[in-house]
Amino acid sequence: MRRYFLLAASISLLLGLLITAWQESRHPKPIALTPTLTSQVEYCLTCHADLAEISSSHPVNTFGCVICHGGERLALEANLAHSTMRGGKNPSDFSVVQASCGGSNCHSGTAENSRDHIQRATTSIQATYAGAIANIRYTFGVQPDLKAVLGVFAIRVPESTSAITELAAFNPTQETNPFVQAFGQNCLTCHLSALPLPGSECIRFTGCSACHTPTQFPDRTDTTQIQSNQIHKLTTAISYTQCDTCHNRGNYNLRTMTFEPRQDLPTNRLHDYYQPIAQFTSCEWMLDCVDCHTRTEAMGDGNLYSVKKDIQYLQCKTCHGTLNDLPQTRTLTDPNDLAFRLALLNPVIDLKLGDTLLITEKAEPLWNIHVLPDGTYELFGKADGQRYVFRPVKGSACLQDPVRQDSGSCHQCHSVER
Amino acid sequence: MSNRTLSRRDFLKLASAAILTASGLLGLEGLFRFLNTQTEPLPPTEFDLGLASNYPPGSRTLLPDIPALLLHAQSGYSAISLVCTHLGCSVESKPEGFACPCHGSRFDPQGNVTRGPANKPLRSLRVEVTSDNELRLYTT
Amino acid sequence: MRPSFFHHLHPPTIPARQARLRYTLAAGGLAVFLVLILGITGILEIFYYIPTPTEAGNSIQTLTFLVPFGGLVRNLHFWSAQFLVIVSIVHPLRVILTGAYAPPRQFNYLLGMGLLVLAILLDFSGYVLRWDEGIRWALVTGTNLLKSIPLIGNALYTILVGGTQPGLATLIRFYGWHIFGMTLAAGILVAWHIFRLRRDGGIAVPPPPLREDQTRITRFELLRREILAMLLASTALLLLSTFAPAPLAAPITASAPASETARAPWFFLWVQQMLKLGNPFFWGVVVPLAVLVLFSLIPYIFPKPVKPELGRWFPKSNRIAQGVALFILLSIITLTLLALLPAS
Repeated sequence: MRRYFLLAASISLLLGLLITAWQESRHPKPIALTPTLTSQVEYCLTCHADLAEISSSHPVNTFGCVICHGGERLALEANLAHSTMRGGKNPSDFSVVQASCGGSNCHSGTAENSRDHIQRATTSIQATYAGAIANIRYTFGVQPDLKAVLGVFAIRVPESTSAITELAAFNPTQETNPFVQAFGQNCLTCHLSALPLPGSECIRFTGCSACHTPTQFPDRTDTTQIQSNQIHKLTTAISYTQCDTCHNRGNYNLRTMTFEPRQDLPTNRLHDYYQPIAQFTSCEWMLDCVDCHTRTEAMGDGNLYSVKKDIQYLQCKTCHGTLNDLPQTRTLTDPNDLAFRLALLNPVIDLKLGDTLLITEKAEPLWNIHVLPDGTYELFGKADGQRYVFRPVKGSACLQDPVRQDSGSCHQCHSVER
Repeated sequence: MSNRTLSRRDFLKLASAAILTASGLLGLEGLFRFLNTQTEPLPPTEFDLGLASNYPPGSRTLLPDIPALLLHAQSGYSAISLVCTHLGCSVESKPEGFACPCHGSRFDPQGNVTRGPANKPLRSLRVEVTSDNELRLYTT
Repeated sequence: MRPSFFHHLHPPTIPARQARLRYTLAAGGLAVFLVLILGITGILEIFYYIPTPTEAGNSIQTLTFLVPFGGLVRNLHFWSAQFLVIVSIVHPLRVILTGAYAPPRQFNYLLGMGLLVLAILLDFSGYVLRWDEGIRWALVTGTNLLKSIPLIGNALYTILVGGTQPGLATLIRFYGWHIFGMTLAAGILVAWHIFRLRRDGGIAVPPPPLREDQTRITRFELLRREILAMLLASTALLLLSTFAPAPLAAPITASAPASETARAPWFFLWVQQMLKLGNPFFWGVVVPLAVLVLFSLIPYIFPKPVKPELGRWFPKSNRIAQGVALFILLSIITLTLLALLPAS
């Protein structure tokens, strides 16, 4: 009996070695990636090889994963690898955006051409929510006028060219008016640092990704079905549905001072989205918001503002002109013109030197709209690439008073029946 | 030869032992100084915290790098060190005060000990508002 | 045949009764085996480990996840170290409970105590080399404990830490102590300990006329048993290393938030629990040192085991020593279990 002990022990050792080797062979083969920007090898792709490239501007071979997401680049064990990620799944959240997206060669670049994106986005009214806060505090008599003094977070722009150089942080617990307190507790869900209310069907991220990561899915009723490879995307082709995640006609209930999100999803823009009494033109619902509204209108221009109308300036005449004037244009002569870069990021149009573009009153290029030889204008939808042709007002039978250019005046004739 | 006088042999032995002991002590002193040296720069004692308006009245801001908790009360800015006075772990800031994860010391929101083993209150750190309205914190 | 160190350790025959597993618990032999495993896996780890705060975590992750069988090497090193601490406690306990430290073995008992201390310090320094969030507070409190020592505390702290707070100098010093200073000392003590073992007469046995059982086993039978034990221990270590990886957390960063609970490594949990009682110097330095001194003095201050009773469990002549040892051990186990309870 005893003489077999040694044999049995030898067999057990061999078995142990075989099990060890078998376990070792079950480990996934590490997939190494050494992004040219970091020159530090990372192994994230071992598990995440199925992720689509986030955008053509951020090729994985150049950027890798860690430069934006953080995390333990060498770990092949999920908990350890993910333990130090910035902002969880969303490194563009404003709490970490500087570390993730910032840097002078990246998105905190120079103010020239408005490439200081982080500074602009974090000072924009979508981020500060200063307008809504000022409005509520004014309505309940806490502040004497509508000038914004508080934001979601404190921020200072000493070189601001607007009337506001500084916003202090809005702290609901410091407010004396119970409605303003309730507003602070219940209604701060539509700024760029807040997620939509739980259960809301309007899924979006915070920070840059709120707009630049499309979160529209075939079946939006089941958010648990969202796979990370569906949302691993950054784009400037921002569909109106992304704007809808906030601008969806959910509403404040001033009596209870709560925010009431929409209960349905606006799938048919014409019928679901616009309020019944509102008037609107066909371009307002056929185009995407970003087809007309410019980058500085949406993302800010680096200054602090009180309300939307301080920064939003586009009117019907920007594209259509008036009876007296054609819309402003610019012929591309400089190969470094901003329009080329914007068209490169979202190639819905093939711009060439010599093309004539529409520009706004502030000389921002409407790079997706150019002048055709016959004097009409051709627009390519930024989100869907759809081609539209439209005419200027000048020379038409339009009955407008050239001085009255607010949308209400145009709506009198050009609203769409439904 | 009397007992009180040292024999030549004993004297030589004693002298050698004394000299060797002295040499050993000198060597030990050198070794002590060799090891008891600080080569790295001292940790910073001043921290710029940025705009004072980033810390609205009533706010309690965690500054994990220091580590400290910055308070903005009616009376102005103050800071409490989050280094436990017992054995130096970083205490956790909770609504009811501070808790040390290592040995269970508890402190009230002012930093006073409410439960041992720590027997000294958390240190108050000096906070100054500079002329351009920025905050600076001193750990010394 | 010329006598070699191997023959010194393996006499032609030894008493069968005292060579049984239920008497020796194979603790000493296992300790030697674990020291060998630790030496081999430790040398392999040296090829990948980089002892700087910025690179330590990365190099361990490289070893663990990317080097073929690197994880296995690290896990073997980890589990061998934990078991070495366990057998380093079981072994002297067996010695006390069988009275085997009786003269002339007191000095070898002291050498063994030195080895126990080294096993614990090596385990602690190796644990610190991870330089991850998991070790952070044990390192902070462990080193701050030195400062609590009157007069020499601050100097000891600087000598160990190399600065005013844990950093690059600390890691290099721990690395030096771990892979060279303490390992060299442990190697010398192991050799001395097993050399003295035979010099003191091998396993403690009663004088030949008093032995109930006169049978003896041969050198070859002893070797067979040793190989058997090594094979079984290797299998156990392999399986444990394959299915229970050594812990690893993210590297230490200054801004990491304080955690809910910070636990000492398991062999210091009892000290951590005592530190909750108050004065760091008393509970963290004086009491553990007193325990060590008390254990070391067992062969000298308590009634000695008498020769006829040697070679079996629980001799009557040193019951006091047995009682003291068991009491301290139970206290340490109780404190450890208390430390594992969720914080109140």
